[in-house]
Amino acid sequence: MANALLIQILNGLVYGGLLFIVSVGLVLIFGLRRVVNFAHGSLFMIGAYVGFSISLVAGFWAGVVGAAVVLAVAGALLDVSVFRPLRRQDPIATVLVTFGLLLILEDLANTVWGKETHSLPLPEMLAGSVEILGQPFPTYRLLVIAVAAAVGIGLALWLRFSRVGLFVRASSVDPVTTAVQGVNTDRVSALVVAVGTALAGLSGTIAAPLLALSPSMGGSILIESFIVVVVGGLGSFSGALIAALAIGQIHNLGIIYVPWAATMVPFLLMVAVLVWRPTGFAGSHV
Amino acid sequence: MSRATMNIAAARVASPRLSHLSWLLLALALAVGFGLPGVVASVLVLTLLTQAVIGGMLAVGVGFLIRQNGVVSFGHAAWYGVSAYCLGLLLRHDVLSVELALVLALAVPTLTAFLLGLVIVRVPGVAFSMLTLAIGQAFHEFAMKAQGVTNGDDGFAIPLPDTLFGLPISTVQQPETMFVLCWSLLALVVFGLYVTVRSPFGRLTEAIRENEERARFIGYRTVLPRAATYAISAFVAALAGLLFALYNGFVSPEVLHWSLSGSALIMAVIGGSRLLWGPALGAVIFFFLKDLAGNMTEHWPAMIGATVIVVTVLMPAGIAGTLAELFERLRKAGGRA
Repeated sequence: MANALLIQILNGLVYGGLLFIVSVGLVLIFGLRRVVNFAHGSLFMIGAYVGFSISLVAGFWAGVVGAAVVLAVAGALLDVSVFRPLRRQDPIATVLVTFGLLLILEDLANTVWGKETHSLPLPEMLAGSVEILGQPFPTYRLLVIAVAAAVGIGLALWLRFSRVGLFVRASSVDPVTTAVQGVNTDRVSALVVAVGTALAGLSGTIAAPLLALSPSMGGSILIESFIVVVVGGLGSFSGALIAALAIGQIHNLGIIYVPWAATMVPFLLMVAVLVWRPTGFAGSHV
Repeated sequence: MSRATMNIAAARVASPRLSHLSWLLLALALAVGFGLPGVVASVLVLTLLTQAVIGGMLAVGVGFLIRQNGVVSFGHAAWYGVSAYCLGLLLRHDVLSVELALVLALAVPTLTAFLLGLVIVRVPGVAFSMLTLAIGQAFHEFAMKAQGVTNGDDGFAIPLPDTLFGLPISTVQQPETMFVLCWSLLALVVFGLYVTVRSPFGRLTEAIRENEERARFIGYRTVLPRAATYAISAFVAALAGLLFALYNGFVSPEVLHWSLSGSALIMAVIGGSRLLWGPALGAVIFFFLKDLAGNMTEHWPAMIGATVIVVTVLMPAGIAGTLAELFERLRKAGGRA
């Protein structure tokens, strides 16, 4: 019984880890630019498809790396062509433009890869399972947890010790003062947005073997990651981590113990947190 | 005189009586509605117009929230859908007369929205948009999962009675008559919102929209008026959902899906929400463009996505707002000449 529970907790960690990688991309972009990218879920979806196409030709790992690289380039373009020109306008303008982008990207995926669902096959090395306390657990899921942990640690170090990380943290506390101090947000933002979208692409490919690929798969991940960042506090790195892990567990244990209510629980949690603290439990700092 | 009473006095001064022109425009709009089915011979166009007016009602609700609270809802399909489901479920289980069911189908979403509004209007700006998207989708999830109540993904046909307020039920199912009903209700809703916007309450919400902190410092409560505004916009969305349910006689989780909320928002953006009727104009444009595009291309989503981007960047006031600016400029030029 205890072992079965451990397996479930690990499964929750897989889902929470994926949610974290997606959400932290949103957090980074919000921290620096003060805008929310409504096309983030679609970039996750495009990432999954790009990873799928590359891996068919060059293998799984090339797919993962390729998706991250392609999406990083897309992110830099997004910053230059959307976020930067709109930076003096109401953030709502960016929301609407990225919403338009969401529709275009879904249509693009529909055209290029078709409406039928695809699935990404795993390399043989990862297709098996390992025994954890006498229970079998898929190797690939352990890998997802490891990737999420690596992303989390890497980002934390980057934000803590690099110059760009310092700018992101400063900007998320007070964008005006940061600009007055001579930090040129525009110069670092292409990089930061590229990292954010690369994470969306990476998580898309990593998630692809666990999901069915379809052009509309971005919608639900977008909503789940919004719940994570709203609960955690917009622009909060640690808030997103805690919220993603909590929602991963709740989601997974919910499916087993209260299947009829499982999908509702994250929403209820979100409303409960907001009654208690309207800015999320970690406020809005990175 | 204390500060609070001075403000109330100022607010009273600032809300002039409705002009004769606005009554005239309402009468004109109603007359056009009654006349149009006689002029438009094509049933197809009339069907499209009826859909556009129902969609327009939803968009007017979304636009009203943008105009008065300065926030964008990505989840108004929730109130549209809850209303449709309320009517459907009440009639399916035959618990109430249809007239009472209609009243409840409006009251339930409006009250729910008000209570929820007390919580969510405190969330500022973009986070509000994210939140409404998530909450809207929660209703969709519920309708999908609660199969015993809602019949899940398949939805169900609403067993409508033979008569409604003494009229045969075909009145709300044939485009010739349903168009007149929807159009008239839309005209009345826009007029009602116009009255609301010009009332002291409307002025107060605008003040809060411009600077919430300042409004609070002068002694106003700021959460309640914004929650009330949210509830009003939800009421308008619920009315649209009710009309949809009557017209189609069928509900499924599609009426709660976020893509419907998105479409309503697109209509409001295209039309422009500074003028209360802007979103309705946006809806008519949306439906006719969609019909036109449907015959030529499969890339309607990309087309509408590009339209949203172009309108947001080049025409932030929307088509109605831009028309109004143009009209204003012409009038000024005429006055000078």
